[in-house]
Amino acid sequence: MKTNRSILALSAVAIAILATSGCSRESKPGFKKMAAGKEDSGFLSDYSKLTPNTRFEGQARSYARADALKNLHKYVAVIVEPVEVYLATDVDEKNLPDNGRTALAQYFQTAVTSAVADAFPVVTEANPLVLRLRTAIVGVDSGSQNTAGAKSENGSEELSRALNITKVGVEMELVDSVSGEQIAAFVDRAPLGAGAEVGAVHFSRYEKFVAARQAFDEWAQRVRDFMDHAHELSPEDAQKASASYRPYGQPGN
Amino acid sequence: MISLRPTTQRVLVLLQTLALLSTGVTVGAEEISTFPAYIDSDLCSRLMLGPITPERVACSEKTHKEGSNAVIVRLRDNIVLVPNKDKMVKPFVGKMAEVSGELKIKDGRIKLQGAKAFDQATLPTGDPARKLLDVRGSRSPTSPKLYEKIRHELAMMPYITEFDFISFSLQDDTVLLTGWTVRITNRSTAYNVVKNIEGVANIINNIEVLPMGSFDMQIRAGARAALQRYIPRYFWGSGSDVKIVVKNGNIILLGTVATKADSDLAYMQCNQVSGAFKVFNMLRVQSSESAKKG
Repeated sequence: MKTNRSILALSAVAIAILATSGCSRESKPGFKKMAAGKEDSGFLSDYSKLTPNTRFEGQARSYARADALKNLHKYVAVIVEPVEVYLATDVDEKNLPDNGRTALAQYFQTAVTSAVADAFPVVTEANPLVLRLRTAIVGVDSGSQNTAGAKSENGSEELSRALNITKVGVEMELVDSVSGEQIAAFVDRAPLGAGAEVGAVHFSRYEKFVAARQAFDEWAQRVRDFMDHAHELSPEDAQKASASYRPYGQPGN
Repeated sequence: MISLRPTTQRVLVLLQTLALLSTGVTVGAEEISTFPAYIDSDLCSRLMLGPITPERVACSEKTHKEGSNAVIVRLRDNIVLVPNKDKMVKPFVGKMAEVSGELKIKDGRIKLQGAKAFDQATLPTGDPARKLLDVRGSRSPTSPKLYEKIRHELAMMPYITEFDFISFSLQDDTVLLTGWTVRITNRSTAYNVVKNIEGVANIINNIEVLPMGSFDMQIRAGARAALQRYIPRYFWGSGSDVKIVVKNGNIILLGTVATKADSDLAYMQCNQVSGAFKVFNMLRVQSSESAKKG
């Protein structure tokens, strides 16, 4: 009897060890590292067509396809993909809490969606008129350790170690949801997060993390500004649009 | 501590309950508006702007019969309201009705409570609701320069696609914006660019933002692919002469083409788009228009 119980207990422990070891070998989805010595993360499907965009401060690069049949004007909605987080090269990822990285990704996804939704309605199904909006936060570093304890006074969990976003940049691309072709891309290295830290899961609610929240909001707005600029009519198209537009409803039209 | 007799307690509880209920009714009740209106079809209400002429009535009846939903046009200011249930107003399409319901002006909707026939002769002289009944309103704009300024600003809107159609009319200093768009930003941008034009005092915004359900999205993609294949000359990098408005499975073709053959071809191709229920061909033909003017 005792022997059977021991065997059962050992088996249970063995199964548990096997299960958890299997889990720890899997890479955490969406969390990657910048390669040493590389300027770009490797997130975009293609970096070769990017050129400096002087409309934006902070070494921004961008690309917008000019094909008459396949350009930004030909799409009317987006699928917003989950934001990916790339850690800085020299960071020890074991020091960075998972819930912190998730918090960054989720906040930025919400910010980008809000920034673009009135111009590009968000849908869930791929279609020839739909783009996939892919974004990544690159260069997240480790910040100060939380010695005060796990719970903040509001009950929301503070991170065991803050995430520093001083080195963070944003990479974004819009790809055809059916073919996967890159239609536009934007790489933004503006140091908006200089000195800012994220130290709580719901960091946007707290005054002490306002700098981080503002940085992400501003990056999202810059993504929108890029899309607005890419939508401006060329002089040739402006002429065609003006010649073509004849409202209905007014006598004589 | 004061102790009450059971009867008194029961009376107090009843009074408290009644007080709570009446508060709930007051808080929950929306304001009901009753007003004279013209019952139009969705299509004609957004295209045939201006007075209720026999042509407009014919358009309303015909297109409603063909599948365009009934909508309510408030006489005093031309605002188009989509009813939650059009069953109540269907019998009045092409006619006047007195309607009542909860208005949601910002959304362009009304939660209908009732509709009954209305005799326009009962409207007092000078009532703002007579505006739409005065056919003298059907005239060219009094300020062609202002009209052209508005037209140009709307033409330059960057987020207009072949799936958006925005139109307008100008009467004195009032601009009536109308049409359909797949983007919220187009509705607000149209309002804002017109608002900033000197000479414009009032704007009625009847531009409807279309739903982006997968069914309509498939029809949009199919219609554009077909038209780009058969009449490619009407499409360019950022726009097109032909507009494809898709709403609840119906396709409305708008814009101008060079010949009747192109118009017929566009209509035929859209009729073959998988999933499309009905095609309303409102394309204008350049050659026939030139002949009329000649």
